[in-house]
Amino acid sequence: MEVDFAFFAELLVHTLSFWWVIIPTIFLGLLVGAIPGFSAANTIIILLPLTLAMEVEIGLVFMIALYCASRMGAGIPAILVNIPGTAGAAATPLDGYPMTKQGRGQQALAMSFVASTLGGLLTTLIALAAMPILAEVGYYMHSVEMIVVMLFGISLIATIAAKDTLKGLIAGFLGLMIGSIGSDVVYATPRGTMGFLELYDGVPLIPALVGLFAVSEAFIIIEKSSIVTDEGRANMQRPGWGATLEGTFFALSRWWHITWNSLIGLIIGVIPGAGASIASFVAYQQSRTFSKTPELYGTGHPEGLIAPEAANNGVTSGTLIPLLILGIPGGATAAIMLVVLQYHGVNFGPSLFFDQPELAYGVFMAMAVTYALMILTILPLSRYMSRVTLARTVYMAPIIIAFTLVGSFVPREYLFDLYLGLAFGVIGYIARKTGYHVAAILIGVILGPLLETYFLRALKKSDGDLMVLFSSDLGNTLWAFLAASIVFPIVLDRYRRRKSRSSAA
Amino acid sequence: MNETKQKRSIGGELVLPVAGVLFTLYYFSTIIDSPWTAQVSAFFIGTILLCLCVALFIKNGMALARGDAAMTFHTLFSRLDISSGRLALLMITIGYAILIAWGGFTITTFVFLFLAMTVLNKGNSKGFIALLSAGLSLGGYLLFILAFETRFPRGPFETFMELVLSNGS
Repeated sequence: MEVDFAFFAELLVHTLSFWWVIIPTIFLGLLVGAIPGFSAANTIIILLPLTLAMEVEIGLVFMIALYCASRMGAGIPAILVNIPGTAGAAATPLDGYPMTKQGRGQQALAMSFVASTLGGLLTTLIALAAMPILAEVGYYMHSVEMIVVMLFGISLIATIAAKDTLKGLIAGFLGLMIGSIGSDVVYATPRGTMGFLELYDGVPLIPALVGLFAVSEAFIIIEKSSIVTDEGRANMQRPGWGATLEGTFFALSRWWHITWNSLIGLIIGVIPGAGASIASFVAYQQSRTFSKTPELYGTGHPEGLIAPEAANNGVTSGTLIPLLILGIPGGATAAIMLVVLQYHGVNFGPSLFFDQPELAYGVFMAMAVTYALMILTILPLSRYMSRVTLARTVYMAPIIIAFTLVGSFVPREYLFDLYLGLAFGVIGYIARKTGYHVAAILIGVILGPLLETYFLRALKKSDGDLMVLFSSDLGNTLWAFLAASIVFPIVLDRYRRRKSRSSAA
Repeated sequence: MNETKQKRSIGGELVLPVAGVLFTLYYFSTIIDSPWTAQVSAFFIGTILLCLCVALFIKNGMALARGDAAMTFHTLFSRLDISSGRLALLMITIGYAILIAWGGFTITTFVFLFLAMTVLNKGNSKGFIALLSAGLSLGGYLLFILAFETRFPRGPFETFMELVLSNGS
């Protein structure tokens, strides 16, 4: 079969014919993405008997639509109630939630949906065009290069610490220390587990996410009758489509910002073991570094919302590239897709593109169609979704606690995780009340163990020689970028101050 | 009197660093005899954390000595915690986390939501709260346990429904 324009046109029409599968799955995906503890991977596992019984094309379209929608769904509670549905949306509330508090929740949702859709669509098209080249990225990213990528994400702690450096760094390093709990990766020596067997695998992310963001937030919001400020509430009393259109046009006007950050997501997504959380932290940090208004980040700045949302949806297509070309899944959901498709007799690898091109390219076509249908179905709903924030906190706080705490139980089904979620809630509450940033703690918890793993791998390979960190050309280039991303904002800030001083004079 | 009010309360902001120091020292005690692979990263991160905490202690100690700060916990604990129902909500939440193992998801969630909302709403609108709590806990049961087959904590209600549904099929 020849892969030409006619082939892709036929594939598009064929994929569109599965609208009856895609649209209901979008709503299911948005739901499971929005509830902490649930994810596309969990849901595909739960529905495995159904997925295996489906025809291979329908099963594939179902899994892809669920995957894309759950990624977008995770941003909705992050924006509206400061609760990221997954770790991949952990950077979304940094600017999304302040927008909601200002009564701009509807605009924030619209921006998030447009950024996610454009990011997802764009990276899907790039993936289609440059799949063989992108598949090789994984080969060049070894432990040394991964350490630098992790440090890009961790440098966000310094950004968050900008307002109170000492407290910000304490929060970040406390998170890194908590993230170090568990057995070491080489000899499985238990460390800092306080005797809990449940911590031998490390601190699970969902209870940390639930506790630091959701539970602590619930205990804070009861001080006021509504999470939205009085001014914001007044704005929201006049509902209309204007706010949705405003958010949509704003996001469209930042097309370059979306492109750049979704590409960051695509490249990080291609690397097996990396994921949406790293991509969104790196994107947020990069977006702030090169912004003309970095001081507005964290206060409800739309660009701070667009960047992580574009990046984490860019990851979605990235994780599927090594799966299709090399048979190596780039993430948990991709791994489950591999199992399901292998059950149906699909063999991954370069031959897939010659033997079954409609299936190989169909994956990305299904993704593109899902994003296109998703924006049409979800954008009009932003007007109604944002109304959730007008609910009284006396009702909202207990609901948040009950359903997110139980969500922390879901991934491992340990009651211990529920208690852990509560413990993180107390830590998060103390942090918020005393001026420490919970996002800095969470970045440490997420990236700390990953950094340690890659660091140890690099040291083991080099027999403990630290110079291994500067032993590869790609690694050194990334080090230079990292140094530039740290130094550049300082230089730029000084330049702007000097310029404003001279213009004032 | 006014001077006391203007002093910065620093007791609360020391809670996390003190906990961080204690945890780091405990962590070090668990790896002191371990292979270097288990130590290197933790010693690196832990040492930085200890240095940062010491720097904060010195900074706050100097503020105390200058009379700019007071060792109070106003930022963390206040009367608002009792009047807003926060303390009661915390107690109810701890009870929820403990009792869910025996009561199961549906009943415990209903009781938690009803009690928490009633306390926060100062005892008003009990009928509405009862309906809302029942709707949410039953909705949660239908979605999580029946539809997604999640192995949420099971109790009398879930066991009873399982019997009813298995006899019906």
